[in-house]
Amino acid sequence: MTRKWLRWVPAVAVPAMIAAGVLVGSLPASAGDPLPAKTPQQVLLMIAQHNEKSLSGTLEQTSDIGLPQLPKTGPGGVSSDAAWLELLTGPHTARVYLDGPDNARVQVLDKMAERNAVRRGNELWFYNSKDNTAAHTQLPAGAGDHHKAAAGPVPTPEDLAARLLATLDATTDVSVGTDVQVAGRAAYNLVLTPKSAVTLVDSIAISVDGTSGLPLGVELNARGQAEPAFKVAFTSLTLQAPDAAMFAFTPPAGATVTEIPAPERKANATPPSGTAPEAKGAKRPTVTGTGWESVLEFPAGAAAMPGTAAGQAPMPDPAAGNPAQADPALPGGPMTGAASLLEQAAVAVPGGRLISTSLVNVLILDDGRMFAGAVPLARLQAAAGLG
Amino acid sequence: MSSETPGASAAAPAADAPATPPGKPSGGPRAVRRTWGGGLFASELGVLFRRRRTWAMLGTLAAIPILIAVAVRVSSAVPAGRGPAFLDRITQNGLFVGVTAMLVSVPLFLPLTVGVVAGDTVAGEAGLGTLRYLLVAPAGRVRLLLVKYGGAAVFAVVAPLVVALVGAGIGASLFPVGPVTLLSGDAIGAGEALLRLLLIAAYLAVSLLGLSAIGLFMSTLTDVPVGAMASTVVLSVVSQVLDALPQLEWLHPWLFSHYWLDFADLLRQPVAWDSFATNAVLQAGYVAVFGALAYGRFVTKDVLS
Repeated sequence: MTRKWLRWVPAVAVPAMIAAGVLVGSLPASAGDPLPAKTPQQVLLMIAQHNEKSLSGTLEQTSDIGLPQLPKTGPGGVSSDAAWLELLTGPHTARVYLDGPDNARVQVLDKMAERNAVRRGNELWFYNSKDNTAAHTQLPAGAGDHHKAAAGPVPTPEDLAARLLATLDATTDVSVGTDVQVAGRAAYNLVLTPKSAVTLVDSIAISVDGTSGLPLGVELNARGQAEPAFKVAFTSLTLQAPDAAMFAFTPPAGATVTEIPAPERKANATPPSGTAPEAKGAKRPTVTGTGWESVLEFPAGAAAMPGTAAGQAPMPDPAAGNPAQADPALPGGPMTGAASLLEQAAVAVPGGRLISTSLVNVLILDDGRMFAGAVPLARLQAAAGLG
Repeated sequence: MSSETPGASAAAPAADAPATPPGKPSGGPRAVRRTWGGGLFASELGVLFRRRRTWAMLGTLAAIPILIAVAVRVSSAVPAGRGPAFLDRITQNGLFVGVTAMLVSVPLFLPLTVGVVAGDTVAGEAGLGTLRYLLVAPAGRVRLLLVKYGGAAVFAVVAPLVVALVGAGIGASLFPVGPVTLLSGDAIGAGEALLRLLLIAAYLAVSLLGLSAIGLFMSTLTDVPVGAMASTVVLSVVSQVLDALPQLEWLHPWLFSHYWLDFADLLRQPVAWDSFATNAVLQAGYVAVFGALAYGRFVTKDVLS
């Protein structure tokens, strides 16, 4: 009898071993703080001074901001003009290759498809394998010195960190948390906590490579939500120049190639729509409040959903330097698809409709004015003069 | 696909196989046993691939790329972005027939055929009443289980290979073959593209190993082969349905079908090996768990038929 019982030992032991292995693997591998202690200023300096211009790595991005996830497959899949919205609602993986300031390639790995952005010198190519389309544009000479990597829809941590740090002021507590492991590297964990109680943002954590100072990941946490609302981080990283052939792109035979005229003012790669929010002049948003409590007000007629990008209110020009808008999928597509998708997510509140996410609230008044900010609804209503 | 023929002659009742190695007297019982195991495996393959059922299943799998190729050939051009991925590329490059056919056969056809073979392994012998004769020989149940699983695994390798090769063949004969555009937009030569095609077949073979192990375990549970086959196929469908439910996201990485469709990572430039490795680890886990379960069940089983 006992021998018969013994035969079942493997059937119990194997799952137990697997479970044990998974448990051990999921434990945070930090044995104390492996890196020398640094003050927030020193870590900020490391970021500012890092000079890693050549790398290849894989980025993972997840979002959980309370918007419904868009269907990814099937006939009801995301139309191309809503592609940027799709970036906010689901997980993505992207591979990034950088070689110096002038060569970059970003590959967004979709299911059975891939979106590519390749920059070599002043040549910029976009390629979308889903519909086999390519787009080419010539960057004006000298432009883009400061938008090095982020040619793709998934912003690199480097870009995000720089953007977030620009908003740092007296409104924020900056501290260095316990060290973390990102992409197998020991990293400092710079934590920004808003002092204001009237904001949806709980904290922002930036992981900074302990040896090179390269930002490895950014995590946005919303109040009252355990999972990060937005997270992008390297899962693998090599600080070496990738193969030069990576940056040589010729559109494949049979692909539809469109030529985008060289952008006059960069940032406005987003094509025709005359109603584009950054059309200047009277339609420039006004800001009320300061720091984390800022509320952006868009006058009537500008309701084409600007500035949802990182959910950061006090930014002078939300779309500027955000090449995500130049997604290969976009050229030629009006914003209607994305707008209608957002319409569906809106709920009626006193005075208008509210698009609510865990990081950003957008209030669209019945008269067309729009208020947006990382603040609760009541604050938006107060800013709109409804309270 | 020609690997099955050598086993044909060894398909005779396994009992007379031990007599074959007379030239190695010094090897002792161990050497005899090893040869016996090889003979048993060859005999298993011979039985498997001389079955009309096996050929019917392989023929059905081969019909998928042929159907796709002929349908694309006689119809007008497929607009880009419509239908299954890669379908619109076929007219430009025949090698995509193989990729499209594999993509189409992953959700049902491949699991179905593998489920039939794996579910039949032990229960089929029990159903025919031949299981106890196999166990009379001093090979032991563990060896028999390993041989049975080996046979199912060979089929799991052959099935996607048939789809890929038939697809490439029919594609090359009906459409032009040239440089293949990868998902990343880079183009590679036809030779390298064929290599990628074989890699995808290998990916699918690995993907099906976990299902084969599940089928083997199911097969030890019953004496009715149809029951084991059906439950294995149903499980593969259930796994894919669960994989489609966003509410069960925490469960997804543990489903054996979760990475089945990620073979597209082999069509990127450079190849993204992560999914291959993750998938292999996951399938190895399933093989270990269900192999252990099958062992526990089969070794303690009262074989009456």
